[in-house]
Amino acid sequence: MKNSILLARSNLRTAKGQAAAIIVLILLASLMLNLWLMLSMDYRQNFDRYHDKLNAEHVTLTVDSGSSEMREFLAKTLKKDERTAAYSLEDSMHTVGLFTYNGGEVNSEFVFLEKEAALSRPVGTVEIVEDSRIQSGIYMPMLYQSDDIAIGKTVELSLGSKKISYQVCGFFNSVMAGSHNCTMCEFLLTEDQYEKLKASDYAPESTLCSVRLKDKMESENYEAKLKNTMSAQYPALRTVSNSYALVSQSRYISQLICAGIMSAMAFFILLIALVVIASNIVHYIQENMKNLGALKAVGYTSQQLVLSLLMQFLGVSLTAALAGIGISYTLFPSLNEMMIAQTGIPYETRFLPAAFFLTLAILGSAVALAVWLSSRSIRNVEPITALRQGVRTHSFKRNHIPLGKTNMPLHLALSMKTTFSGIKHNLTVCITMLVLSLVVVFSGLMTENMIRDTAPFINLIVGETADSCINVKAQAEQDFVRKMKDDDQVKKLYLYDSIEVRHAGGLGLMAMICDDFAKANNQELVFEGRFPKYDNEIAIAAKYAKEQKLHIGEEITITANGKKASYLISGFTQISNNLGKDCLLTRAGYERLGELQNPSYYLNLTSGTDIDEFNARVKQEMAGAVNTTINIDATVSGGVVVYVSLMKIIVIGVLMLSAIIIAFVLYLLVRTMLGSKKRDYGILKAIGFTTRQLILQTALSFMPAVTLSTAVGLTVCSFIINPLTALFLSSIGIVKSTFLVPVGFIIIAGIGLILFAFATACLLSLKIRKITPKALLAGE
Amino acid sequence: MKHVLLKTDGLSKSFSSGGALQHVLKNIDLELYEGDFTVIMGASGAGKSTLLYALSGMDTPTLGIITFGGTVISSLNQDSLALFRRKHCGFVFQQIYLIDGMSVMDNVLSAGLLLCSDKKALLEKAGKLFEAVKLPPETQNKFPTQISGGEAQRAGIVRALINQPEILFADEPTGALNSKTGLDVLGTLTAFNQQGQSVVMVTHDMRSALRGNRILYLKDGVILGECHLGVYTPDDTARHETLAAFLSEMGW
Ligand SMILES: Nc1ncnc2c1ncn2[C@@H]1O[C@H](COP(=O)(O)OP(=O)(O)OP(=O)(O)O)[C@@H](O)[C@H]1O
Ligand SMILES: [Mg+2]
Repeated sequence: MKNSILLARSNLRTAKGQAAAIIVLILLASLMLNLWLMLSMDYRQNFDRYHDKLNAEHVTLTVDSGSSEMREFLAKTLKKDERTAAYSLEDSMHTVGLFTYNGGEVNSEFVFLEKEAALSRPVGTVEIVEDSRIQSGIYMPMLYQSDDIAIGKTVELSLGSKKISYQVCGFFNSVMAGSHNCTMCEFLLTEDQYEKLKASDYAPESTLCSVRLKDKMESENYEAKLKNTMSAQYPALRTVSNSYALVSQSRYISQLICAGIMSAMAFFILLIALVVIASNIVHYIQENMKNLGALKAVGYTSQQLVLSLLMQFLGVSLTAALAGIGISYTLFPSLNEMMIAQTGIPYETRFLPAAFFLTLAILGSAVALAVWLSSRSIRNVEPITALRQGVRTHSFKRNHIPLGKTNMPLHLALSMKTTFSGIKHNLTVCITMLVLSLVVVFSGLMTENMIRDTAPFINLIVGETADSCINVKAQAEQDFVRKMKDDDQVKKLYLYDSIEVRHAGGLGLMAMICDDFAKANNQELVFEGRFPKYDNEIAIAAKYAKEQKLHIGEEITITANGKKASYLISGFTQISNNLGKDCLLTRAGYERLGELQNPSYYLNLTSGTDIDEFNARVKQEMAGAVNTTINIDATVSGGVVVYVSLMKIIVIGVLMLSAIIIAFVLYLLVRTMLGSKKRDYGILKAIGFTTRQLILQTALSFMPAVTLSTAVGLTVCSFIINPLTALFLSSIGIVKSTFLVPVGFIIIAGIGLILFAFATACLLSLKIRKITPKALLAGE
Repeated sequence: MKHVLLKTDGLSKSFSSGGALQHVLKNIDLELYEGDFTVIMGASGAGKSTLLYALSGMDTPTLGIITFGGTVISSLNQDSLALFRRKHCGFVFQQIYLIDGMSVMDNVLSAGLLLCSDKKALLEKAGKLFEAVKLPPETQNKFPTQISGGEAQRAGIVRALINQPEILFADEPTGALNSKTGLDVLGTLTAFNQQGQSVVMVTHDMRSALRGNRILYLKDGVILGECHLGVYTPDDTARHETLAAFLSEMGW
């Protein structure tokens, strides 16, 4: 054991640079690994902790009525269901509304509560996270705290067609209704403001019902059943609901994406680090045949020699891993900040022993395995042959590229000879470049479809978008449509509404209703089969279909408004709005279940039209007909901005990481190569080769492997990146991704990657300057 | 009067070892002539190799000037020295120094192709040289580790001569060989010299030194004396006696 330590130390001293490069790779890997584990082992669980802390509900329902008769019925229904653990009913006001946030618009179902009442609820309480002495005003969900929405500032809410302004008194946290990702958005008003709003007719009086369940896994079913019971009993009352399952998933989408990318990067970097370690060891054994033989001759066993390597690399790796974990804790707060912008749930960074030990265990065992596998050839070193240095590990049986026959220029031919003689180096280069190709293609895909042009991403995540959405009163619909058709700012007008329906024997589904899906802007929405065309057809979310084992051509029964109708499945859709619980119906199809109350229309406007101005004009001109107008463009970009900025950081991060990785892998390879070729380079210098020629030769010798693997990697990745993306996003309901693969970007980035590798190899080979023919002759 | 190929003026070389400065070559003025087989002798550590490296542009002197033709080579930078070596000097090393990863032929061509891009002419020239050093064609496609030391050294001579250098430098070319193969190599050098090739050779060995027509004796960094022997003929006892007398005078 002691001997092995001595050996390990002497090995380390002679290979400082290599140890440094391995340290950096392992450090990056452990950094990513630990961040990933922190995100996936604790971050999401924080939601549950918060949920428990605030004794939050698993199902939330608002019913637009304050009548005691309704409340009695509701309470009876809740008590009858034995899954109910506790519930609370609260006076509230509820309406559809919007406000400006982060340059976009937040559109949601607004629920107003009186502050003190909200704070004293037994189930679904809220927590004030920031308060002031302002006596009269509004408390906003913590998520919306920003430059424009801050204590003392005034926030303007649009409620239906009315506008109302409040001074911001503070911020609060509500687990189930504290963000626009959870259907409902709560606001707390001071008592005077609450009474004032109640006296106005801006928002109807309603009942907020929060139910805690014995088993949270039941939340979706419970929600569906409760809502159905209520709408069957009170078909005229508007109800809105959400469930633990929906909220906990939708608040953590960016956490999911981030964790996914971290884990992928972590394992890629680890793979590269292992390949580098393995090729290092193989090389070390080749170079040190003589020393190893000598050690065996004086009585070292193979096991001791392997052990010394193991300790050397494990020591270096674990030290680096510790540093990486340390850095991950310093980086985590900024990641957390970005993530909170979407989750809205505060998270306090804390030390996670499980993640810590798991990171060390994963890295340690991976490194140990790599060392053990690659050092097995030590067993074959025999003391005698090694001492004679008669063993030439390279086989020179074949003369690659004979200079007398080839037409290649001399320097190219000499580099190719080097290339052919270093298969293991080539393998390292190839694996590295293949991994980095995937990174480049991924970055290209995201840059093209999410950063440069946000439309493909929006189409994938949001489904259907247009410029403006106008909700009109049922009786004025004909008039509205006629007027819009004559309006020269309107390019396209189609009915697009969403109403909750229920799959008999299954869950509640959000039905998107369109008069003619051929008019929809996003024709990719149905990716298998086709849009529903007739009144007996339906397209359903692929994720849901898969869960329920439904196929195209099958018949399913849908219920709504107490009615029932059967539909044939015409196709599968993927919309992540409701995390894969959606369906598409034609208007005629929906009308078999009931009339559309106050339909919503989507409008595409002529280019150059200001959407807000247009909406305002329509609202003014048809005051009696229009309920609400929504600037879809602004709403969507407000919601998407978080993802886009997150992705920007990720793309920049992974590209920089790629550059670092190439540099380090090449550094290692060039170093080992220069080490083994010192004599050759000395001879070549003696017979008249210049430093520049040798640097060029060295750099060129890496190029076949770099170029080939980059080309192959980029091509293959371009084909598999869309399926991979879909796989990655499958948990939010995405089954098929049709992102545009930016060929131009990828080609340019590929060439850039190759040139960067070449330039780096040249730079790293500058050490050749120090090799002198004299040093060779003097036997140094 | 013979044509001067290479000339040194006040050539000095010092090394600092452990803080102390060691003067290995001290103010050497020397002229080397075209067509000569110059032999440099001296005790171990006298500075023979150091002198040879300086003369051949492998290393730069601490002080003094070395002129080759019209060019001062002592002030050239590393890359210019490399260009100088490839054009004007051939070098045969004691340790042979062929590149293991290349066949014997490719070792020769890698030097030849630096100056001549006409592959056909080069192959022809290499063929003639291989014939002259008596290396059979099958040897040319073997790798350095697959041939004997003597064969390898003769291949080294072919590589040194492929660019038709003005001077062929050799530092104990037979040092690593047994006496039989050593004789073959010496014979090769002698034969090339007799065809007009200028040779400068460092040796320890009196039998090797007999091949030269001009013997320089180096001691403590200065050229202590020199001796002229005339054209080499085998088994020349008078030549042997002259050299022996010179060496004993020098304190050999
Ligand atoms: N790079 C160096 N640094 C320090 N001292 C050196 C260096 N090269 C040579 N020397 C010293 O210069 C002296 C002469 O060395 P050199 O190799 O020229 O001797 P030599 O005459 O060729 O001896 P040998 O017959 O043993 O080959 C020696 O004492 C040696 O230690
Ligand atoms: Mg010497």
